[in-house]
Amino acid sequence: MIAHQLALVRRELWEHRSIFITPAAVGLVVTLLVITAYVAASGFGGHVDIAIITAQNVGETERRAALMAFLAGITSVFILAAGILTIFYCLDTLYAERKDKSILFWRSLPVTDAETVISKLLTAAFAIPLITFAAIVVAHLVNLVVSSIFVSIEGGSAARLIWGSVPIFDVWTFFLVLLIATPLWLSPFIGWFLFVSAWTKRSPLLTAFLPLLIVPMLEYFILRTTYLWEAIITRTGSLPLFRIADVSVFDEDSLRDMTADSVSLLAIVDIFKFISHPGFWIGLVVCGLFTTAAIYVRRYRDES
Amino acid sequence: MTSLVTASNVSKRYGDVRAVDNVSFEIEKGRIMGLIGPNGAGKTTLLKAVLGLTDFDGQLSVLGLDPFRQRKQLMQNISFIADVAVLPRWIKVTQLLDFMESTHPNFSRKRAEELLSRTKVRKDAKVRELSKGMVTQLHLSIITAIDAKLLVLDEPTLGLDIIFRKEFYGNLLSDYFDGERTILITTHQVEEIENLLTDIMFINEGRILLDSSMESLPENFVELTTSGEDADKARRLGPIHERDVFGKKVMTFEGVDREHLARLGEAHTPSVADLFVAKVKGAAA
Repeated sequence: MIAHQLALVRRELWEHRSIFITPAAVGLVVTLLVITAYVAASGFGGHVDIAIITAQNVGETERRAALMAFLAGITSVFILAAGILTIFYCLDTLYAERKDKSILFWRSLPVTDAETVISKLLTAAFAIPLITFAAIVVAHLVNLVVSSIFVSIEGGSAARLIWGSVPIFDVWTFFLVLLIATPLWLSPFIGWFLFVSAWTKRSPLLTAFLPLLIVPMLEYFILRTTYLWEAIITRTGSLPLFRIADVSVFDEDSLRDMTADSVSLLAIVDIFKFISHPGFWIGLVVCGLFTTAAIYVRRYRDES
Repeated sequence: MTSLVTASNVSKRYGDVRAVDNVSFEIEKGRIMGLIGPNGAGKTTLLKAVLGLTDFDGQLSVLGLDPFRQRKQLMQNISFIADVAVLPRWIKVTQLLDFMESTHPNFSRKRAEELLSRTKVRKDAKVRELSKGMVTQLHLSIITAIDAKLLVLDEPTLGLDIIFRKEFYGNLLSDYFDGERTILITTHQVEEIENLLTDIMFINEGRILLDSSMESLPENFVELTTSGEDADKARRLGPIHERDVFGKKVMTFEGVDREHLARLGEAHTPSVADLFVAKVKGAAA
């Protein structure tokens, strides 16, 4: 059963090379931009020297925060790209096999429609995030090496300024949690996209997105309520994975007392809050319903 | 003899159209059954029902299983080629072998590689890089390497040139068929498979017009070439079909004594293609 699923997910990765190409391309572009920025910055020799001297003088806390912001900035591009990739993957996967009629071959094998659709769900919800995460780790290491080279050329101590200060495991654990939690939170959309992909006769992109606008509008015109629109906005606009920010941390006293150890992305994560949030479970149920519908469409629709 | 496929009163409608209309038949183990019919006759729909790809009314048992509800078990023992174009174009030959190996319990990779080594299909090639004939060779090699009890072929040689078609059927007989396995095949090009069939079934407008073994065809059907007065006498015996060939009358008879007909002209067994035309036209008349 598990071996079966692995074989099916592996097939998805063979077919959709973009799952590898996208993060690789993002990593390349980001790294080139970082290198360009360093080279451009070298033009202001004096300022850079001052910056490095300052960095050596400022506290561990600030250096840690700056490096964290650097890595988080790099990561955000990967996450944005993975989001777009996931949408296109979901919309394509059950549509393309019908278009090129390869569905007839896949269905000639002893693999059920449920197994197939679930493998596509697993690819979207886990395989894409995990491959993206691997690419993020590589990109972080490469860019830290690039930064070390730059700092060394300018006469700073990379061992202390970069590697001694970077909270790398904190950052990695945080983004791993984020990359697993986000698709789960947005799983109703993944389910909806898979359903559209299995169901639509043409243009999966339009068929997927138009109802997200039109149905809430109809709800407003007919019922004068906006529940659906609010549900969509809440779902896409928030992720209940984080502690409610305690404003007092920004008091001058608190900031002064801040130690390097308290500079942590992981510290704002609250996994218990996430999995005990009703929205999390409602989302999984909605995803399950759409996935079941996708399985039924693949199973029962006669493609002739 | 055990029957591998048993259909009783199988029907399938699409809206008002009855694609398959109350069809009953059996296919026994070790037979090669040709399902012959024009486009839109219901062949493909019937095959889909047998393969569990579509729901239907009536009873259908394939290898003792309900094809629609027990599709996964069924697919372990059935293999099928729907059309030459269905292998995914993006896949590499090695990936296809890997995938088959990990999902199909009755697939022998060794056998598939052995069969492929006789063709020009390169193992690192993608399907989209292969010619149509090579894709069919690849597909047949994959299918032949499955230890399946029933092989279903729906127009397997559509769009292939004559060399590949001949080779396809040659390989099918030498590599796949061993007397234990059973084949169900549909095609337009009846002439090409006539000699390899053990049974034929004609289908038109969703109904079965003929279901017979090849060896009993000569007993039941006679084609008579005659002219003049003899033609009038023959016509009184009730031919199911009559046509003109070079000024002579060619009549097809069903269930009329061959010796008796031989006195009225030249009697022989009709070809499957001619018999098919006679049955379809006869049913329409």
